[in-house]
Amino acid sequence: MTEEKNQKYQITIGIECHVQLNTKTKLFSEVDNDARGKEPNSCVSPVDYALPGMLPRLNGEAVKTAIRAGAAMRAKINPMSRFDRKHYFYPDSPKGYQITQFYHPIIGEGSIILPSGKKIRIEHAHLEGDAGKLSHFDTYSLVDLNRVDTPLLEIVSMPDISSAEEARDYCKELWRSMIYANVTNGDLYNGNMRFDVNISLKKPEDKKLGTRAEIKNLNSFRSIERAVLYEYERQSKILDSGEKVVQETRGWSDATGKTTSQRSKEEAQDYRYMPEPDLPPLNLAKDFIDAEYSKCPKLPNDYRTEFKDIIPSDTLEILLDYPELVKVLSEINVANKPIGYISNLFASVLLAEENQSLLNDQLPTSAQLTELAEMKEKKELSSTSAKEVFVKLFEPKHASKSPRELAKELNLIQENDTGALEKIVDDVLANPATKKAQEDYKAGQEKVLGFLVGQVMKESKGKANPGAVSEILKNKLK
Amino acid sequence: MEITDKDINHLADLSNTSLSSEEKEALKQDLGNILKYIGKLDELNTDGVEPTYQVFEMENVWRNDEIAAQDANREELLNLTKEEIENQIKVPKVL
Repeated sequence: MTEEKNQKYQITIGIECHVQLNTKTKLFSEVDNDARGKEPNSCVSPVDYALPGMLPRLNGEAVKTAIRAGAAMRAKINPMSRFDRKHYFYPDSPKGYQITQFYHPIIGEGSIILPSGKKIRIEHAHLEGDAGKLSHFDTYSLVDLNRVDTPLLEIVSMPDISSAEEARDYCKELWRSMIYANVTNGDLYNGNMRFDVNISLKKPEDKKLGTRAEIKNLNSFRSIERAVLYEYERQSKILDSGEKVVQETRGWSDATGKTTSQRSKEEAQDYRYMPEPDLPPLNLAKDFIDAEYSKCPKLPNDYRTEFKDIIPSDTLEILLDYPELVKVLSEINVANKPIGYISNLFASVLLAEENQSLLNDQLPTSAQLTELAEMKEKKELSSTSAKEVFVKLFEPKHASKSPRELAKELNLIQENDTGALEKIVDDVLANPATKKAQEDYKAGQEKVLGFLVGQVMKESKGKANPGAVSEILKNKLK
Repeated sequence: MEITDKDINHLADLSNTSLSSEEKEALKQDLGNILKYIGKLDELNTDGVEPTYQVFEMENVWRNDEIAAQDANREELLNLTKEEIENQIKVPKVL
């Protein structure tokens, strides 16, 4: 998007996000909601495929989870909400309709704050059942109903987003908020969160928004950003030539980097919404709502405030993708411990590709990390050794050890005992091989000190603290 | 309200079904009659009356989040389908 074009058309973006909630069972039936690694059509209840006479029964945990998700968007929870049927014909939905909350959603207005500080308003969010999964082949499609009626929270933003970068930031921040609140597994690759991006262009002087196209089912932050950039180009070309953008649903291909038309959007009334007669409405007590709402933990933006001026923001933005990690850092921060050093250790580990898998293991505790930082500060560990101990602390076999225990085991503790160091220094100075160096130093060649320190380090088998050695040498060679 | 050919074609489209002209004519009659019957309700003044969602006046009915055995298993589901491939339901190509 060039500057010039940016001025010609303003881009307006609103995003709908489907979040799969991590409840044990489905939204309306008592079957396993976690179909990962399971056979097709093995996690299915007759309720899911609407055998005659089957009745949906609402999962109370999904209601509670939705409230916690609402809290993560600082949203108003509507005490009264209801379910409706949205009719459409497609093989991914044997019922012939989706149960959703069209008229009275459970979550009202809220907001997501981007790292830039910009606030994106949430219009509402509602509970609904997911559809089945279709796989397409040359002449037929296959249907797997495992995903039918997995609880979804559809989160609808206001059209407050005005660039590809903001669209990406919004989706990422929403994802973070949901994983902090622990309402979803948050695995984007497996579709736990899917984004529909509505994009329209208008001239700056136009009051009315332009006709929008909806890009369906994006599931990576990168593809969201790319799809918006592509749509900007496509729609501005249409408008440049004096034609009209068609309101339609489009699909994105990562491989071609293009969006293509899928179908013209059915008119809203075509869904023939009607109240779901089999599910009584919700009328939630304030105490019930408050109890769930208060379970929402600190969010990324709370940590931004907490770590302001303590952890550089580019380092913090890397760490914020890992809620458990940030929680540990926060525990250390309370005790006024060297948080900067520890956050750098994490950042450097996270940035090194080969270490990424470490985060699948148990994180070191705040007590371990504090001790490690203190050992480093007291120069009991060199920078290199401290990092080695840090990485080892992630390994299950070392996880229960204290850093001191582990450092001793690995023979990494630096020799700081002045008496013991002086003895080694004396031995080195008594060695005729260092005589010339000593004379050169005394004659003013200060860089020779490095050689002498090296000899002492060698003698101590690397365990001496080079800073301390250097001081002792300087004193003795005065 | 009269049901037109356009209405019938539109409803058939939404249901992804094709109808013969005889069927269309019959449905036009039937749906027209149903609407006329329901239209009786238009005679009532419903100003200020809350829409009825359900007639039992129940609310907050939900179950615990526990997995339970189901009455029908996958084999029974697949038995209801016309054709299957590797435990999935085969349908005409839809995209």
